[in-house]
Amino acid sequence: MAGLPATAALSSPSLLGDRSGGPTCPPSFTAPPRRRARRPAATIFRGPPILILLLSLLALPTHAEEIQGRVQLLARGGQGPARGSDVRQAVVYFEPAGSPPARPAEAAFEMVTRRKELVPRILVIPRGSRVRFPNQDPILHNVFSVSSPNQFDLGLSRQGPGKEKRFEAAGLVRVFCNVHHDMVAYILVLDTPYHVSPDADGKFVLNGLPRGPGKLTVWHEQADPWTVDVELPQKPPGPLMARVEIVRPLIPSHLNKLGQSYFRSQRDRYNNR
Amino acid sequence: MVLGIALWGPAVRAAPAEPKDAEAAAEPEESPAGLRPRLDFGLEARANFRNSERNRFPVSFPFRPDQIPPGQTQVFEETVNSGSHFELSDVTLFVDAVWGDGLTAHGKVDFIDLYDRNPTSTDHKVDVDEAWLRFGVEPDPATLAARGGVYLKIGKFPKFERQDDRHLESYGLVSTAFNRFEDAGAELGINLGRHLYAKLSATQGNPVFLRDPNALAGDNGTPVRQQAHPDPELKSGIVILYDAEIEDIDADGKLETGAGLGYKIADEEGRNGLDVLAWGYQRKLAKKVELEGTFYGGDLDLLNGPNDTPPILPIKNDDKREVGANVWLYLGGLSFFGQYVDQKLAGLPRTGLEGEVAWRLELPLVWAVGDRQLFTFIAPAVRYSKLDNDFRNAAPTPAPSFAWDWEKIDAGLRLGLFSGVDVTVEYADNRFILASGAKRKNNELLATLRWRM
Repeated sequence: MAGLPATAALSSPSLLGDRSGGPTCPPSFTAPPRRRARRPAATIFRGPPILILLLSLLALPTHAEEIQGRVQLLARGGQGPARGSDVRQAVVYFEPAGSPPARPAEAAFEMVTRRKELVPRILVIPRGSRVRFPNQDPILHNVFSVSSPNQFDLGLSRQGPGKEKRFEAAGLVRVFCNVHHDMVAYILVLDTPYHVSPDADGKFVLNGLPRGPGKLTVWHEQADPWTVDVELPQKPPGPLMARVEIVRPLIPSHLNKLGQSYFRSQRDRYNNR
Repeated sequence: MVLGIALWGPAVRAAPAEPKDAEAAAEPEESPAGLRPRLDFGLEARANFRNSERNRFPVSFPFRPDQIPPGQTQVFEETVNSGSHFELSDVTLFVDAVWGDGLTAHGKVDFIDLYDRNPTSTDHKVDVDEAWLRFGVEPDPATLAARGGVYLKIGKFPKFERQDDRHLESYGLVSTAFNRFEDAGAELGINLGRHLYAKLSATQGNPVFLRDPNALAGDNGTPVRQQAHPDPELKSGIVILYDAEIEDIDADGKLETGAGLGYKIADEEGRNGLDVLAWGYQRKLAKKVELEGTFYGGDLDLLNGPNDTPPILPIKNDDKREVGANVWLYLGGLSFFGQYVDQKLAGLPRTGLEGEVAWRLELPLVWAVGDRQLFTFIAPAVRYSKLDNDFRNAAPTPAPSFAWDWEKIDAGLRLGLFSGVDVTVEYADNRFILASGAKRKNNELLATLRWRM
């Protein structure tokens, strides 16, 4: 993962983190502080430097491919552009066929509860990584997820460093607060290091990709995933266009951790049944 | 019920509280296992500031001279307790015992109970408001049933058409007149799938009595009024006919039967929903229902009036029938409750219409104290209610207001101070049309500090 500087550079923290204001936890795989990883070739082969350089150059073409494209968010029904949905919140990731999985980060990522929001709203992590959930609010929160098999329930937590959870399975983890319905965030646990978020125009570039077949996915919290099989290098070369239809509101319909309505629990049970 | 659960002591274990509010909702709960229920206790207290306008309306009934208060030449219907007052109006204890989805026991006991007491000064000060057992699952209004099924509820419980989600402390005219109080008996609920449902009930029926629709019911038929030249501290109120609290379990066989058929649509998370329910009740009025603290009797005894005078109302029979329709609507923070009732009370026709709209806005986190947000939500609410009495008094009556047409607008604001603590300030614009056609008012300001734990 860390040996993929091109990808990491494209995973601009400003793209993923700005909306939720998260300098505390810059998203993407570069987020947690960690030691600089080394290329496998350099790690295994301890020969003369010139030989290492030659071998590295030989290895480069297998990680020199790129995919360019653009994500366009469409309104419900596919008629016209979506309004009120931020394309920068999308995540574009490439899963090469048969490539080894991404390695977990050594340090824990962070998703902070701050001003009754989960920050960052979208966090992309390699499978097996840990996420810490500090509470920076002076009130109680209860962060939980029922997204199997990564479900968790941190229980009530006061202001403080919070608890950690390791995410062992790849997939989408919907994160909520059991106290505050509108607190919503997503952890995208990926088995690949190749991911990026589009810019404000929806444009993206994924580079440093290995040759061969793979699957490109565009994920957005308000849409169903958009997926296409890709053979690298692309033939014919050219940008991909991903038209993604918005089908969900920003705050999705969900129940509390007990499977009950948030709203009915707030109602006047003292006056009724 | 509280005692019963306490006696099970060794067999039960207390579980963390069920959600009473947003923050308590976060507490983990244990799944009930076997015969051990999940127990949930609650406490609620209300303190009020009340400012009631002083109004009085002469009564043409031929009272004996010794029945007229000192210094007066006639009797009035008048505001129960005018002026400004601070009151601790209610302390309520709750207990729930839940055995999974199969069985629920619920108890609710009111202490003080100032605004429900009738007569205000001489009725019970401790009241078991609810005590029921329920077999099966009863979905809330405007929420979908998980699946088709049946539930049976027995004991003392609210009427199935009653507004379950109130945003003001006051009551509208319809909710006062027809379904403010719990009844005792059995209720069968049938979920015909997730949307269509039916309700059947057989209960003893709430006695017909009189009360002021503002906060205090009034003092009528109290012992002090049997003294010569009575001068009670609390006055009669300006009264309407209503279904009063039941005093005891009465198994004389004259049951009130009720039925309802409803249809609801809602999203799975219960945020948006629409529920429409048509319903009806009927029963035979009793000749007299004894009530605590008053020598007036309920039902026909009240409608006939004093024994030594002609009937005060043109009653025709002993049938009491109501048909009505309810609407619950939830759209995010917006909610609406509406109710229409058409009643024949011993042949006296009257109709009622009520609608309440409220908007609950969650407030951003600005201040906090003790892990709790300060100023959690704000919820303005407005209620309009109307009671059309399509009959006239048959003779000089001690309660001419029975036959007046009434209109009431309650407008208020509820502010969440902390989780479980809120304050509601509301104003009741309470209007009526006298037999002469003159329009009069009896308004009231009510502020309520409510604390729940």
